[in-house]
Amino acid sequence: MARILVACLCALPLAVLAALSFAGAWPFPDVVPSRWTASRWLEVLAGRGGLAASFGVSILISASVALLSTVLGFVTSKHVAYHRRRRLLLFLAYVPFALSPVILGVCLLYVAIQAGLSGSVAGVILAQTIFAYGFAIVLFQGLWSPRMRAFEELVHTLGGSTWQLYARVLVPLAKEMLLLCFFQTFLISWFQYGLTVLVGGGQVKTLTLKVYDYVGEANVFYAALASCLLIVPPALLLWANKRFLFKAV
Amino acid sequence: MRSRSGTLGLAAFLAVAVLPIGASLLYALLYSVGLAGLLAEGFNGRHWLAVLGSGEIWSSLALSVWVAAGVVAAGTALGLALALGFRGTLDRGALGMALYLPLALPGAVAAFFVFQMLTGGGFVARVLLRLGLLSDPSRFLPLVQDRWAVGIILAHTLLATPFLALLFARLYESERVEELAALSRALGASRRQSLWRVEVPILLHAAGTNLALLFIVVLGSYEIPLLLGRQAPQMLSVLTMRKFALFDLRQKPDAFVVALLYTGLVMALIAGIFRREKAA
Amino acid sequence: MFLEMRGISKSFGSEPVLADVSLAVEHHETVSVLGRSGSGKTTLLKIVAGLETADRGELRLDGRRIDAVPPQARGVVYLYQEPLLFPHLDVWENVAFGLRLRGVGGEELDRRVREMIASLELEDHARKRPHQLSGGQRQRVSFGRALIIQPALLLLDEPFGNLDAETRAGMQALFKRVAAAYRITSLFVTHDLKEAILMGDRFAYLKAGRLRLFGDRESFAADPEIGVMNEVRFWESLLGGKVPS
Repeated sequence: MARILVACLCALPLAVLAALSFAGAWPFPDVVPSRWTASRWLEVLAGRGGLAASFGVSILISASVALLSTVLGFVTSKHVAYHRRRRLLLFLAYVPFALSPVILGVCLLYVAIQAGLSGSVAGVILAQTIFAYGFAIVLFQGLWSPRMRAFEELVHTLGGSTWQLYARVLVPLAKEMLLLCFFQTFLISWFQYGLTVLVGGGQVKTLTLKVYDYVGEANVFYAALASCLLIVPPALLLWANKRFLFKAV
Repeated sequence: MRSRSGTLGLAAFLAVAVLPIGASLLYALLYSVGLAGLLAEGFNGRHWLAVLGSGEIWSSLALSVWVAAGVVAAGTALGLALALGFRGTLDRGALGMALYLPLALPGAVAAFFVFQMLTGGGFVARVLLRLGLLSDPSRFLPLVQDRWAVGIILAHTLLATPFLALLFARLYESERVEELAALSRALGASRRQSLWRVEVPILLHAAGTNLALLFIVVLGSYEIPLLLGRQAPQMLSVLTMRKFALFDLRQKPDAFVVALLYTGLVMALIAGIFRREKAA
Repeated sequence: MFLEMRGISKSFGSEPVLADVSLAVEHHETVSVLGRSGSGKTTLLKIVAGLETADRGELRLDGRRIDAVPPQARGVVYLYQEPLLFPHLDVWENVAFGLRLRGVGGEELDRRVREMIASLELEDHARKRPHQLSGGQRQRVSFGRALIIQPALLLLDEPFGNLDAETRAGMQALFKRVAAAYRITSLFVTHDLKEAILMGDRFAYLKAGRLRLFGDRESFAADPEIGVMNEVRFWESLLGGKVPS
């Protein structure tokens, strides 16, 4: 009984937002919406209107950030883990990740402008990657144990090149963690607002930005719809990743 | 096996993680003392003094710490209750799946949801009105944009609790809490003593770093207080953003001062975490 | 002379680990190095394998200096005490690993792997994963994986340390048989006196970073520091001086 209650509580936000997105009108003081409509959803699914485009932009950005930070993080975390100054390097890696994205954005904006990247998708991707990269480095530390190092040495003495080492041993052994990192960094990017607004100059319209735009316009129903779109991919990814999620903790 | 790739890897790490931040922080520092930026006035400490003396940043810091501590406390209490209440079965069945749903909520959506629920024109108010428990919507408890930042804390707690519950559930297994509790009872402890002297302390200790990180993340929260917070005081990130984006460019250095202070605070907290880990 | 080490010295920080070590290994022979833990034996092997660099000294393989040659190009295989099998591959693929690295495939790969697995008496376990094998079986796979690529030199770092006495004896016999069959050149490091004598053709004693060489079994056994005579006297005194024939 208690389980069902808690489960319902957890599902409540999604349920409420889904309901709102289908609402036709919800005048005060009605408890439930007076009309229902699927027109907004149909509009999005048909690919028309700003929301579908924002969905696409968000996917593009988050997938890029996830790919970049996971690959880069995987390859370089090894050198951090085996370094004499490991703790210092790790401390430095934590910093971008622990800084508020907004604070990070405020500081990075100058660099972004100088590089001509502000207001562009590429700029947003790079800024978010700096943020997510720190996370990846920290996450992968659990991978590089003395045993892993022994595997590396073994492959080298058996005659393997670095490429073969990665392709035949390291990547297969790290598969789970690579996937986990990809999904986590995807989510970090997917949820981002403040950093995107700053570096993107308000022009890169991700889905999260759209939610705020609609809320600002007091457009409750579209905000709810945008929220639903925001939630669905992460929910799917998280569910798929259930097994791996807390292993690295 | 020193190797070229080792140096390259390290160089890449420094280039991505350290260099941009380092350069940015340096720029921020220069800007804040008037040595950089469009309206650079030349070296002066005016902005630093103004910000530190204004009281604004201190109330912002106080609010941020209050919110972060409140979220960690509430989330921990609820998370523990869930993990210990549903011992071993948290991760299964409908509940197991449902628990992952709030993890899929971004801050923006959580804020929007809380707004829709708890404002005077929101869901809860309408229900109360219908039930006759409330006569005037404007007299509905201010839970959003209120003094105690209840709405903000609620939204963050909504996001943090499932995560913490799952974390505690995992730690329960990995730290063998069940066995240790049974052991303590064999040594004569009552259920209550076993709970408060064995199970809870072990879980809290093991989750320590994660709780500290949660504190840091909430401290710098932006999206939620942006929607659910008052005009003043504002949480640190909101304050920074406001000062940064103002028309009056002369206030921009203030934003960098706040940013630098925040950075210093967070780095000190992280250093503290590292020291704790080392001692462990 | 196949492997030649001259004046190898290594320190970690201010701690000297190897001091002026010189050693020569001939083609197709096994030299056992006896040393207690902390005597520097692992560092010695790692230097030969290229996984560590010596502070001073020369290393030659077949006449050529290999000090600057990276591990993957030396043809020297270093075997850990722990078998270290690839957990994501089965026995067959573990053995085949080195061949695949070299681009060997198809029928030749099949034939060579089958032969190796047969000589290691692992036919029934060919498709098993490492976690399904016993310690001795895993060690055999580890051997096979190293031998199949016909390394110029095999370095064994206490390979039987983790095994129980009976399995250990079996592995020692297996190694001697296979080493002879494949005409392996190897450096065998152990802290076990009996094992050192059994496995080697020539012998060395490593203590506190310094190495002493012995040309044959008799001089090795006779040396007071090695302690063979102590062992004999111990058993004799235990049995009252009467050793049953």
